[in-house]
Amino acid sequence: MNFFERTLINLFEGGVNFVVIGGVAISAHGSAHVTFDLDICYDRSPENILRLVDGLKPCHPRLRGAPAELPFLFDSETIRRGLNFTLTTDPADINLLSEVAGIGHYKEALARSTTLELFGRPCHVLSLEGLIAAKRAAGRPRDLAVLPELEALHELETLQFEKADESGQPGKDSHNDREKPKGIRPH
Amino acid sequence: MNIREQDRLIRLINNPPKGSKLAAAKEYGIDLSLLVRTLNLTPTERLQELAGAQQFHEELRQSMRRR
Repeated sequence: MNFFERTLINLFEGGVNFVVIGGVAISAHGSAHVTFDLDICYDRSPENILRLVDGLKPCHPRLRGAPAELPFLFDSETIRRGLNFTLTTDPADINLLSEVAGIGHYKEALARSTTLELFGRPCHVLSLEGLIAAKRAAGRPRDLAVLPELEALHELETLQFEKADESGQPGKDSHNDREKPKGIRPH
Repeated sequence: MNIREQDRLIRLINNPPKGSKLAAAKEYGIDLSLLVRTLNLTPTERLQELAGAQQFHEELRQSMRRR
């Protein structure tokens, strides 16, 4: 089981409300972009924070880039007192974000997400349109560098929708479409 | 993706319409041919490939440390 699978399954099984954003979302949509950490936007409700902590605890999260002697307790109180956390875990790195630039908090991210089947489970992933908005808003050179590919993928998605509309078939995702994710559409 | 869809995608990528985002990406230097492969995979398969790249990178890094 790889890092993404292990971490996502922990979050799924814990019933955590989250949206996958960042590089993993970009890859899930079909980009050839390579990333090494998982970024999620999480729901800040007290119940969800408890679920998030329980879901990630088996991966032994600790602060990334902080001195080893700096005390850090990964519990609901710590998450409640902070907003964004850059963590390393046994398998790899994960970033917990309460807000996404250009999008907003969890509810807004959820509204601009699409559901992809990941490792046999439905998972909320920021849509291509949402990723483009987020990268534009972030505005750093590394964010802007992925825009041309994201926009090309979005255009391919749109072209496929137009083709589907011409044939009289539904152009948007249906549940059945997600069961068979192969196609020109990235999801 | 069936053969017809793949042919259509390859045609689009090799000869993107002028003014399109595909053309802009190609002009920017994105290797659009890579998308033919990734779009043939399911989202799970894409993340499995990503994890494979991550593992390879880690092995390479450890190998460099051992030198």
